[in-house]
Amino acid sequence: MSAPVARLSVPKLPNAGWRITSILTAIAVFVVLHVFALRGTDFEVAALVTGAEGMASFLADAFPPDLDWEGVLAPALKATTVTLWIGLLGTTLSIPSALLLAVFASRTTTPHRAVYQLSRAVLSFFRAVPDIVFALIFVTAVGLGPFAGVLALICHNTGVMGKLWAESMEEADNGPQQALSTAGASRLQQVTHAALPMVLGQFVGLLLYRFDVNVRSSLVLGLVGAGGIGLLINQSIKSFRFDAMATQIIVVLVLIILVDQLSSFIRRKLEV
Amino acid sequence: MTTLHLPVPRLAEATVPGEPILEVEHLTKSFGGRTVLDGVGFTLARGSVVAFLGANGSGKSTTLKCVMGLETPEAGSIKLAGTELSALRGTELARARSSVAMVFQKIHLVPRRTALENVCAGALGRLGGPASISPMFFPRELKEEAMAALARVGMADRAHEKAGRLSGGQAQRVAVARALCQRASVLLADEPVSALDPRAAEEVMALLAELAHEENLAVAAVLHQPDLALRHADTVIGLIDGRIEYSGDISGLDASMQARLYTPNRAAA
Ligand SMILES: Nc1ncnc2c1ncn2[C@@H]1O[C@H](COP(=O)(O)OP(=O)(O)OP(=O)(O)O)[C@@H](O)[C@H]1O
Ligand SMILES: [Mg+2]
Repeated sequence: MSAPVARLSVPKLPNAGWRITSILTAIAVFVVLHVFALRGTDFEVAALVTGAEGMASFLADAFPPDLDWEGVLAPALKATTVTLWIGLLGTTLSIPSALLLAVFASRTTTPHRAVYQLSRAVLSFFRAVPDIVFALIFVTAVGLGPFAGVLALICHNTGVMGKLWAESMEEADNGPQQALSTAGASRLQQVTHAALPMVLGQFVGLLLYRFDVNVRSSLVLGLVGAGGIGLLINQSIKSFRFDAMATQIIVVLVLIILVDQLSSFIRRKLEV
Repeated sequence: MTTLHLPVPRLAEATVPGEPILEVEHLTKSFGGRTVLDGVGFTLARGSVVAFLGANGSGKSTTLKCVMGLETPEAGSIKLAGTELSALRGTELARARSSVAMVFQKIHLVPRRTALENVCAGALGRLGGPASISPMFFPRELKEEAMAALARVGMADRAHEKAGRLSGGQAQRVAVARALCQRASVLLADEPVSALDPRAAEEVMALLAELAHEENLAVAAVLHQPDLALRHADTVIGLIDGRIEYSGDISGLDASMQARLYTPNRAAA
């Protein structure tokens, strides 16, 4: 025989009616937004069906991929290396600017409120302008080629990485920094001896993540003339060489998988 | 042939035990109209340990923060080695304050840095210029002084260990070494052993008492265990609601005094 289980009536949730109304309103708003979005983008499943034929002939042209070493594979590998270099330089060369702005844009390390506001604004600007827009600007300024791609990535990545770094500094434990402050250390000393060492692990993790993203972006930047494999893919499409394009895309896939694996491997190593 | 590096004497001037070094009078502080410190006054002397006791919210931390300049009292005077702090500004104030070091409940070492590097950081206040930006550039004399400080707290053999790998008690001793490397003559410790197990707490308190008695430091420690105070402190200051209820020899901390300090619902009574 089991002991009687104690029970107590659950008190009514306060303003339950209001909760239901707000959930229903949210759902309605969501549905209405999607109706407008589907109309605004000419979203039509029928077009996909009628376009199936075009897709099929496109795929038929793309396979088998053209693996000709001289004409396709070697140039694709070479251009992919350039894409990798663009991603690498775009990431590493933005470290100084991102670091400076991050220190200024973190409440715990900024030297002054005005500096804080200004650096936040600068970071927001660089983050808000997409790298492809920077690429278009730099292509007109320094001409077609990978250099424009590097410059574009430096600008955009400064904004994104600086913001991410500033955020992780604000979230970090600032006890050691306070300890050094009470010991009479200057603001700069507090940053270099406490604030930065506290977040070094996160910083490197975010850096690798950005490297990963930037290699992918540099591919797209090539499409607008900023060098690398993107440029070759663009040319193949324009000259209807879909079999060459297939090879180029395979090479890109291999690069992206390798970079992804490498950066997640290093990040895992850093965590322990 | 190896050179023998003797620990640098921490204090140039001769120090006398019992000499008052920190004199606090009539400290008053309120937060949002609520008085938190009401005329707190006490004296710390070289060579002795003062335990601050009192219930949660009685104003112990606020008292130490006012002395460190982390909070600004509305009234009162704080004299360090005879100099009124409110009369000092800028670098003079910073220099005077550097003779007071703080030890924290949460220890606040940089886990990624080694014990030695953490101890060296205590000297940053007197180490100017670009050489003070990275531990790579720390001068050898500083590192040797830091080693001597680590040896003083019994942690010399762990000098190159990352602080994050030390146990709580070891880390707190390294934090005390950092205060020594700051060449402080007053050590303010806010619950230095509250996060430690009983044995580590005993060791750290014994270390603080030893430093007071042998190196002539003035030590003030906020404690939540009266028995630790009884074993290691020379005098005790008991706070109730921002007022000093008792200040005097540790022998005054008897059972009735303890009961008085920790009576619940004092406001309601
Ligand atoms: N920055 C602040 N703003 C508002 N009130 C504060 C602030 N700091 C402290 N207080 C209040 O002042 C009173 C004394 O706080 P204090 O931290 O000095 O107490 P304590 O004796 O150290 O207590 P504990 O044993 O919990 O550490 C408390 O009532 C606290 O709520
Ligand atoms: Mg406290």
